Amino acid sequence: MDVSDLQQNRVLFHYARTGSTIWLAHLDMVRLFSRAMNRAAWPLYWSEGAYNPRPDIVFGLPAGCGIELERDPVEVGLATSPDEGSFDLEEAVLRLNAALPESVQVTEANYTESGGKSLMARVCAARYRIEAPGVSSAYRKTFTGAPVTVEHVRKKRTTSVELMSKIMDADVVYDDVLRITCGAGSVNHLRINLLLKALIRDGGLSPEVAAGARLIREAVFMGTV
Amino acid sequence: MISWNSLPEAKQRAILRQVEKPARYTGGEWQACDKREVFFRLPEKDRIRFAFCFPDLYEIGMSNLALQILYAALNKDEHTWCERFFEPASDMREQLTRENIALSSIESGTPLNAFDIVGMSISYELAYTTVLDMLHLGKIPLRSVDRGEQDPLVVAGGPVACNLEPMAPFFDLIMIGDGEELLSSVTALYRAKKQNHWTKRDFLLTACQLEGIYVPAFYDVTYHPDGTIDTIEPNVPQAPRVIQKSIINDLNRAEMPLTPIVPNLNVVHDRMVMEIFRGCARGCRFCQAGFIYRPMRERSLENLSEAARTLFQQTGCDELGLLSLSTTDYSLLSELLEKLIPCAEKYHVNLSLPSLRLDAFERDMAEQVATTRRAGLTFAPEAGTQRLRDVINKNIVEEDLLQATDVALRNGWERIKLYFMLGLPTETDDDVDGIGSMVNRLITCWRNIPDQLRTRRFFINVSTSIFIPKPFTPFQWAAQISPDVMRERQQRVAAALRPNRRVNYQWHQFESSVLEAVFSRGDRRLADVIEKAWMQGCVLDAWHEHFRWDIWEPLLSEIPGGIHFYTRERSLHEQFPWDHIQIGVHRAFLEHEWQRAMKGKTTPACFEQCSHCGARAFGGGVCFEPPRTSSQKDIWT
Ligand code: SF4
Repeated sequence: MDVSDLQQNRVLFHYARTGSTIWLAHLDMVRLFSRAMNRAAWPLYWSEGAYNPRPDIVFGLPAGCGIELERDPVEVGLATSPDEGSFDLEEAVLRLNAALPESVQVTEANYTESGGKSLMARVCAARYRIEAPGVSSAYRKTFTGAPVTVEHVRKKRTTSVELMSKIMDADVVYDDVLRITCGAGSVNHLRINLLLKALIRDGGLSPEVAAGARLIREAVFMGTV
Repeated sequence: MISWNSLPEAKQRAILRQVEKPARYTGGEWQACDKREVFFRLPEKDRIRFAFCFPDLYEIGMSNLALQILYAALNKDEHTWCERFFEPASDMREQLTRENIALSSIESGTPLNAFDIVGMSISYELAYTTVLDMLHLGKIPLRSVDRGEQDPLVVAGGPVACNLEPMAPFFDLIMIGDGEELLSSVTALYRAKKQNHWTKRDFLLTACQLEGIYVPAFYDVTYHPDGTIDTIEPNVPQAPRVIQKSIINDLNRAEMPLTPIVPNLNVVHDRMVMEIFRGCARGCRFCQAGFIYRPMRERSLENLSEAARTLFQQTGCDELGLLSLSTTDYSLLSELLEKLIPCAEKYHVNLSLPSLRLDAFERDMAEQVATTRRAGLTFAPEAGTQRLRDVINKNIVEEDLLQATDVALRNGWERIKLYFMLGLPTETDDDVDGIGSMVNRLITCWRNIPDQLRTRRFFINVSTSIFIPKPFTPFQWAAQISPDVMRERQQRVAAALRPNRRVNYQWHQFESSVLEAVFSRGDRRLADVIEKAWMQGCVLDAWHEHFRWDIWEPLLSEIPGGIHFYTRERSLHEQFPWDHIQIGVHRAFLEHEWQRAMKGKTTPACFEQCSHCGARAFGGGVCFEPPRTSSQKDIWT
């Protein structure tokens, strides 16, 4: 097996999730995919380990609970190169989609290069669509150009997070639909719940409306935006 | 009243964002059954909507094999759509109550009261208040007499069904025995009811003639002045005097859920499960499951190995549990493992064998089974001395445990978990002290293994529970020890084990064992207490954090005779609340076993020698197999 074969052992695919599966937490999604791939007979590469071998599946961003996804990236390692076995990627994607719940579907898949930075480290930004009555006006009131700082409580620790610097672009044309592109991944990640928190505090969005908002991650960007 | 599926999506989202683990309520799991497309094309009178209710949280219910079996069996029928319901956790319960939303199904969000049949699968007595809570949240009147023709039929089944008398007024019908085929007969009959416009009573009068069906309202119970039962008599001519349990003699014929629902959440037992046999051949005298499921019936090797392959392919799960009451009693276990292991390796599946008995725990099996998870091994000696183990008919000797521990420790295991029961009939301080001595001998066994061959991290977890006398066991006459004695014995074990840093001792609050003992041999008069406790806030009683002894204790003290009336030793002549149920094992046999227990005499397992318990009359299982000659005896589970 030469290097070019090895490179074809990694597949990068994008998936969409809607409906009831949006309520799964990240680890549940990992399990869901690993089981679906078993069912679809994807020859996943399993890490060696005496006690708990794990399949090589990496998500670009954690799939937050309650967020619909339109095009989130996942990278998997395969145990065989395509030349060795009968692994036909196009056909394998069809098989995988048939083995996934209807509300989770792979939209595209390609071989990718192995080595270099991990998928997670390559993710730099994401675009979200937030659908809720009055969300764009609330955004305009909140983000006027000045820094917007909110408190973030995690594991009983409270930190202050500035949001303005994490937002790269905002589309506020429709009052009930806000589209923002923001930092994502290991640096400059914007948490959508913190954004909503700011919209409630400074933009007059009611907490009930914020809680009922439809949150959609439309795209995840890698490398540079 | 609002149903979940009629809520605007934004409202649903707002509620789900406020609860922990929203996926408990949203479904969409792999292989969950959604019949919306086809089912509603059938005429209304031809379709049965069945609500399968598990009175506990999603994670517990979805770990239950009965749910998967019955869900598959019911949904196979094009006329039936079975959907699931679980008790919501307190955060969700609060939301439902505040917004006046009815408890709704996981599959389609339909409210409980819109179903034809509501089936409660009850695995333990401490679920009783949760049953009431689910009915209440589903907007269904609790008591059978208060439900009208428009309300669903409320039925129950599960291991506790063999004495559901404390819950009798709440159920229209109780199913006793194997549920797979019985449930299908009930749904078929209910379809006839809908087609022919029978009243509920007409339906019940027909249903009560089916084997395994018990309609509590068709029986009157009278009591002696001392509170014990005088008579249990049918009050309609159609109801049989004795209700015979329903049984599937050939287990290969029984539904095996080959396309089970694969939960999205990490449930308690997150694995595929295959029932390798039903019933048990051992006859441990405290164990209700060991008697009510008699006789032991095995699935064939072919049936199991084929099923395993299908399960691997259909679920994609990475663990398969071989389920039974005592796995190593499967007559062809080595052959089965030989077939399963290569297949499991191919699919990256771990095999887990709960209820492993230890004499069969030989070196090669230790190596075969534990290719991956060697962290913990569980043994249940149940009693600390040989004398007491003979009383309870746990046919094992300590040598087995020591030898098995030696094998396990040399094969990479690090932790041993030991289960004991406190308060078994005839128990003395010596028996209690025997637990400490046994643990010390295990530690010596570890010390005797050469350094390079043994683990450094050896640890023993000792756990004790309180003995609860159960109906249809030889100990159904026995008393439960008093709370003071319970406390004293727990402390005695704790004191004996405390000095050892390689041992951790866990025990449970004994009050819930008292409550379980009251219910398990309880009668109909307890229904009022259960309802009152629920009204005062009791629900999910099996959960430590929800258990409210402060509510239960005063309520139980108000009943004539108090708690003691239900936990006392019963006289041999006393009529039991469950005497009109025929589970297969005769009362005379149980009495004989009770007397043998008092003499410390053991009884052989069915596959060694038949003891003529009565279950042979069903016409199948181990009763008709030649005695085994192998060394499969003297074992620990
Ligand atoms: S009849 Fe004999 S073999 Fe059959 S279950 Fe009873 S004791 Fe066991």
